[in-house]
Amino acid sequence: MWATLRSRYLHLSATSLSSSSLTNGSWKLGFSGLNQTFSSSTAQRISNELLSLQEVEKVLSDVRADDVSVVPVGNQCDCADFMVIATGRSPWHVKNIAQALIYKVKQKQKGAKRMVLPSVQGQETGKWIVIDSGRVIVHALDEKARAYYNLENIWTSKTAQKEPVEDLTKAFVKVRRINNSKKPAQGSD
Amino acid sequence: MAASFASRCSSVGRSLMDGLRSNLSNLPSTSREMTCGSFLYQQQRTFIQMRTVLKVVDNSGAKKVMCIQPLKGKKGARLGDTIIASVKEAMPNGKVKKGKVVYGVVVRAAMQRGRCDGSEVKFDDNAVVLVDKQGQPIGTRVFGPVPHELRQKKHVKILTLAEHIA
Repeated sequence: MWATLRSRYLHLSATSLSSSSLTNGSWKLGFSGLNQTFSSSTAQRISNELLSLQEVEKVLSDVRADDVSVVPVGNQCDCADFMVIATGRSPWHVKNIAQALIYKVKQKQKGAKRMVLPSVQGQETGKWIVIDSGRVIVHALDEKARAYYNLENIWTSKTAQKEPVEDLTKAFVKVRRINNSKKPAQGSD
Repeated sequence: MAASFASRCSSVGRSLMDGLRSNLSNLPSTSREMTCGSFLYQQQRTFIQMRTVLKVVDNSGAKKVMCIQPLKGKKGARLGDTIIASVKEAMPNGKVKKGKVVYGVVVRAAMQRGRCDGSEVKFDDNAVVLVDKQGQPIGTRVFGPVPHELRQKKHVKILTLAEHIA
């Protein structure tokens, strides 16, 4: 099944690459312009080509990354469907996680005329590496960075932040001041 | 979402323009301004260059920075570019102090930036997120809307820390 999908991707990319100059990052934006020529069913298949969730989980378990958490962000943000957060034990381990994911993508696209690699940010420092592969974004952090940035807090509570409206009902309740003095309150006389 | 940026103004800019037009239609004495045309009410915004004061929208401790050098571009920095800035105003207990020279990524710019589908996006203020030399954000949260352009400029980290992606 993957072979047929890859061949279709190659066919589409061969026709599209001639019309527009595509770099790593602009692949995603340029694709939105091509949507009107190609059907939406092929759009999903192409966006899954780079890295899918199961492959990411498999690679992370092979590399023995700690504390892998997957956050579905499809309803909050239209740029990605899933956010995977993994921890590495040392900077070298974090870099290794990134290298393993890139190697997996290269293996998938072996023999293709032109390889589209995911964009990697933060490769020099081993503190926080982001691998952006379209619908799935993988964050590889070390423990200190993970505790510092606390990414799950943002993305799991984003949906919860849509309900501060209930706090507004409590905001209009008048709270009487605590009277610690010996004099009685004003209105009681 | 592309439809919301179909016009030239951002959503905030559009409401301002509507407010201006409704004010003018209520005052019949200002007929001179009405005949000039609406394009004169839009200021010509330009790049972020040396001495530009920008707002800091993360929780790194700084409040205002002044750009001392745009890193790319001869005329200045635009949305999504990195600048070198000096902290002019800071919160008392924060990670950066006043007078420190920091790097920053412009996340909101008053100058419009064209998108690949032909629309343009512009904001009401100039805002920056402080990063270190390797591109790691110093703060842990980014406030206010940030545009998609940061993804293509390889600033996905700032996008993940943002509270709202425009």
